[in-house]
Amino acid sequence: MVQFLVKRLIGLVFVLICVTFITFIMGYFAPGDPIHTLLGQHFTTRTYLALKHAYGLDLPWYQQYFNFITRLLRGDFGLSIIQQNRSVWDILATGVPVSTELAFWALTLNIVIGIPLGIISALKANTWIDTLTMGVMLFLYAAPAFVLAVLFQVAIVWLDQNTGLGWPVANWGNPWQYTWSDLQFKIGPILVYAALGMAYMARLARTTMLEVLRQDYVRTARAKGLREHIVIYRHALRNAMIPLVTVLGLSIGLLVTGAFFIEQIFNIPGIALTTLTSITTRDYPVIQATGILLAVAVVVGNLLSDILYTVVDPRIKVQ
Amino acid sequence: MEMKDQKQEFDSSQHSLRRLRRDKRAVAGLTVILLFIVIPLIGPPIYQHIGGPYRSNISGTIIGPEVYHNPFHQELDRPDEFISGQYWLGTDAIGRDLLARLMQGMLISLTVAILVEVVDIGMGILVGVLAGYYGGWINQVLARFTDIMFAFPGLLFAILLTGIFGTWADTTLSSVPVIGPNGNARLLLVSLALAFTAWPLMARYVRGQTLQLKEHQFVEAARTCGTSDARIILRHIVPNLFSIVVVASTLNIAGTITGEAGLSLLNLGVQPPGSSIGLMISDASSSIQTHPWEILLPSIVLTLIVLAFSFLGDGLRDAFDPHSKD
Repeated sequence: MVQFLVKRLIGLVFVLICVTFITFIMGYFAPGDPIHTLLGQHFTTRTYLALKHAYGLDLPWYQQYFNFITRLLRGDFGLSIIQQNRSVWDILATGVPVSTELAFWALTLNIVIGIPLGIISALKANTWIDTLTMGVMLFLYAAPAFVLAVLFQVAIVWLDQNTGLGWPVANWGNPWQYTWSDLQFKIGPILVYAALGMAYMARLARTTMLEVLRQDYVRTARAKGLREHIVIYRHALRNAMIPLVTVLGLSIGLLVTGAFFIEQIFNIPGIALTTLTSITTRDYPVIQATGILLAVAVVVGNLLSDILYTVVDPRIKVQ
Repeated sequence: MEMKDQKQEFDSSQHSLRRLRRDKRAVAGLTVILLFIVIPLIGPPIYQHIGGPYRSNISGTIIGPEVYHNPFHQELDRPDEFISGQYWLGTDAIGRDLLARLMQGMLISLTVAILVEVVDIGMGILVGVLAGYYGGWINQVLARFTDIMFAFPGLLFAILLTGIFGTWADTTLSSVPVIGPNGNARLLLVSLALAFTAWPLMARYVRGQTLQLKEHQFVEAARTCGTSDARIILRHIVPNLFSIVVVASTLNIAGTITGEAGLSLLNLGVQPPGSSIGLMISDASSSIQTHPWEILLPSIVLTLIVLAFSFLGDGLRDAFDPHSKD
């Protein structure tokens, strides 16, 4: 167990080094000279060289990378090029609570709605309930997230115009507050954001549950006359949860890419939207920082699911 | 003996085809995919020959369908029209023909899908076979590389790459023939990013299959006969990878098309005046309150295409490997 974790941690450090290297190299070769942009019309060769030295941009690339890493370890993402007196961290900090709020609710819905739907489908396999649920889930899983967002917006617009519902089509309320007007903003984006992961969980839950229900120990449990709900909850469900736990960590990857579309389409001020605005203003340090931040989220998610896996499935520890 | 082997192979692929033909969803998917390939290729030239001359109020001259059915042509006094005889699917907010733009967008999706799959299949087979057949350092490098690629979501990589190098691509790559002009310069970058993140998964599948194939008796027999490694790989292993590569790439195309549309929707892919399904969605988002048709059209078409590839991919998987079905 300890050996396994140490191995995973070493792998994690390796992946992080590569991720930071990729983002660093992208910024290094990025077109345009940041110092040039910074100076604007105050450009003289003297100040240019002095500033370049002050930012450490006259060093060879490996030293720049080393400095980049040491600054990162101190939690310092550097200064924004466009908003000159603000640090990158300061710019991202306003978006982080919003994005984590979105992700939190999406993950919760994945678990609270996705898994039960899959389990119910498996228990009622090949009835109309199963066919209907899995049909809807297949659509949610296969259709692109931004198409779902658009369809949702069109539906809201139609309802607003025809029933006087009066719900907002885009924007976000106050982060982590849930008054009725906040909820009107939030329910839609969260549902759409959760849809993909929910469908994925439901499909996986159905498959694993069906698999488990075919096992010999379930037949034994039934044969010795246990009541059906004990067979299902105590014997089948617990074992069906094992693969689902690992997928939870992996679904952070889905959430990270989904955030770009949801935040763009619904105009939600999270870090993905901040990144997209930084892309249009060519604020490379901000783009780099988001890249690293989101990649770290995914990597940590993977590690968490590995750890959870050993907790849920005792057989792993023995190996 | 080789004859018999081939015959058996032929038989089993015929069985698979028969199974595929019985799968209604896969057949429907295949039909949509064929339309998706045929329409953008032969649709525009036909469409640009249908329709009478029209007296444009903007330029004051008489123009034919080859002008007003051009995806880049604007008739500023005819914005946001619904379906009509002149504009079969209506017009967008600056009076461009939606059907023409849709077909151009489908052509872009098709181009990106082909570019990405060429790299994906090429790199996937090359690295996967070498890693599976020889093991050793190639295997190690592949394993580490796939680890990183799984940690770094493909779309995030593509967003960062196009975000940082997009403007550079606009100026530098616009001179590339065929895909360069009309705001399509970034497509190379987009395809590169999508392919770069797609091939490790393909390589992993291929590696797994190669590891299994390597243990089969026919490979052992070939080796005993003194066949060279290169010949074993090319004649005995690669042909047997056919089914897994077809399934994996069909499923991957769905992701690729979504990826391109998504990047264009975020204004990182095709630039105006070019057309892409994603860009159409993004363009129409400002008129969602007044003319929802303009945003629904590209969204529905994209969903149909993506669903078609997923259905065909699932169908192919079940047809080639019936045991994988639960």
